[in-house]
Amino acid sequence: MNICANCGVELDEGLKNCPLCGKAPGEKINHPDEVGNSPSAIIQLQKKENMRYLWELFGIIAFSGITVCTIVDLLISKGLAWSLYSDISIAAAWIIITLFLFAGKRRLVIIPSLAVTILAALFLIDLITSGQNWFIKVGLPITIAVFAVTALISVLYRDARLKGLNIIAAALFALSGLCILTEIILDSYLFNNVVLRWSLITAVSVLPVALILIFYHYRLKKGNRLDSFFHV
Amino acid sequence: MSDDLTAVFRVSATVMEPVKYSALREAVEITAKRFPYFNVSLGSGLFWHFLEFNKQPPRILAEEDVPCTSFAVRRKDELLYRIIVRGRKISVEFIHILTDGGGALEYLKSLLYTYLTITGNSIDPADKIMLPGTPLADEEFEDGYNKYFRKLPPPSKMLKVWHLPFRLNKRPRLKVIQSEVYTNEILEKARSYKVSLTEYLISVYMISLQKIYLEEKKRRRQKHHIMRIEVPVNLRRQFPSKTMRNFSLYVLPELDMRLGIYSFDEILRAVHHQLQMSSENKQIARLLSSNVSYEKLFVVRILPLFIKKMAITSIYRGFASRRWTGIVTNLGLITLPGRMQELVDSVEIIPPPPNPNIKVSMGLVSFKDKLKICFCNISQSNELERLILKHLNDEGIRVKILNNK
Repeated sequence: MNICANCGVELDEGLKNCPLCGKAPGEKINHPDEVGNSPSAIIQLQKKENMRYLWELFGIIAFSGITVCTIVDLLISKGLAWSLYSDISIAAAWIIITLFLFAGKRRLVIIPSLAVTILAALFLIDLITSGQNWFIKVGLPITIAVFAVTALISVLYRDARLKGLNIIAAALFALSGLCILTEIILDSYLFNNVVLRWSLITAVSVLPVALILIFYHYRLKKGNRLDSFFHV
Repeated sequence: MSDDLTAVFRVSATVMEPVKYSALREAVEITAKRFPYFNVSLGSGLFWHFLEFNKQPPRILAEEDVPCTSFAVRRKDELLYRIIVRGRKISVEFIHILTDGGGALEYLKSLLYTYLTITGNSIDPADKIMLPGTPLADEEFEDGYNKYFRKLPPPSKMLKVWHLPFRLNKRPRLKVIQSEVYTNEILEKARSYKVSLTEYLISVYMISLQKIYLEEKKRRRQKHHIMRIEVPVNLRRQFPSKTMRNFSLYVLPELDMRLGIYSFDEILRAVHHQLQMSSENKQIARLLSSNVSYEKLFVVRILPLFIKKMAITSIYRGFASRRWTGIVTNLGLITLPGRMQELVDSVEIIPPPPNPNIKVSMGLVSFKDKLKICFCNISQSNELERLILKHLNDEGIRVKILNNK
């Protein structure tokens, strides 16, 4: 008798693989996800299909948006002016949605790809904004800083033993640093002179909140999980 | 609804030899033609879901560790029942919107008959099975609820119930424990108390709940004090219907713990009399009227589907589960015609996974000399199962816990 080692069913002599698990009769399955024909495999198939439908829908919306903006611009301005900005933004948004839909939880893929997409969009917008040349001096450093901070928080979240309000506190610290950096970059570009004002006010306001969160997390609640704390 | 909270239940039969895949495939295709009303997928209209006929046979899938998981109902042409196989066991999982335990059992019997015949067994089916090729009766399609609906005053309001205090399991939450007792031993015990087997097991369930309630009461003040069990009733026995669609309601025996601690004899009497009273045709007709009348209301009918779905989900999670503490469902004694009885080793049921308030449900089915007791549990504690099985053991009934694999 030809018995499948995983499903225990008898297979006809002609069958090379078990129609249930997809494996050859003597081949053992190491992980449940390998089962080719199971209730959870069908659910996964449904999830993939839904993702694809959603992507197609967003594609149609993005394509329609770009077409409408371009035609209206052509009719009103007799050329391509403002529609270039909206077209670049819509295309970038569509690429970002595609990334989130298909890259799943792979942060190492999502964060660099997102950075490249946004930088490319900003570069193109800078190109069509004649004479400003703000991409190298403002757009590039601020974008890189934002992504560096996001990557840092993401790594912290992945590696932290207790994931709770401490992560929010770290994010607030990072946000304060980012505000200061942004003001330095903007001041140097606009006035060639750095005087910190709003970013310092933000940092000073955020600092006590972050400290209270850290105190609450480590001293009072001893590591409440974020999902439990915010559970609705 | 989440992947955990499904309305999927399972009936299984274990044959004597490893299942022959090709014969089962053929049997499934033949049986699907005899039950065309099950060959439907779920469509969504503006106001209601609807069932769409399609011709493809159900899927035959490999068994996984967690039973009764959700169906991919949003896929086009995805049927609402499936066949699950492992080793010698053939299981059928149905979404409850399609049929109830009675309908599922008729399907399983017909599938088994066809499979066993294809694999070379000669069986005289008598008239106990819906044979492939026999004509369909219109009554098999009928909506029993609407047929027997008449407007009656609603049942009186119920107090909220006490729930098991256990924490929920991590996902996937559902754990199933199958146990087995000798039918004659448990029947003898039930008869000695002058109650039916279902009444006896509900009482064991109740006294076990009472023990947990009393322990919990020592630790902290309890807000609710009613223990109420949902016991599904097959309406085909009360109303002359041959429908294969859902046609069951429930009775709700209860204990009010504010009145004091109950002895087992008191629980048996309370359960016995409440079941007798609430199974009366008039009481069932009143319940049927109350359940069906909502969908007849014009205001409800014109509500868009997405609003209905939101309302139904919150009703199911909140309102409905506040009405009962636990669930005991009994498919009864299964008899198969002629040689089929010898060719089938055992029959099992897995009731739908309980919701997070109820946490544990119990399914019963008797076949040959064995009664299978199945516990579906989504909590971290097995205390209720332990107390129930220990009570049976203390009463002299031998209990065996089965290996699910």
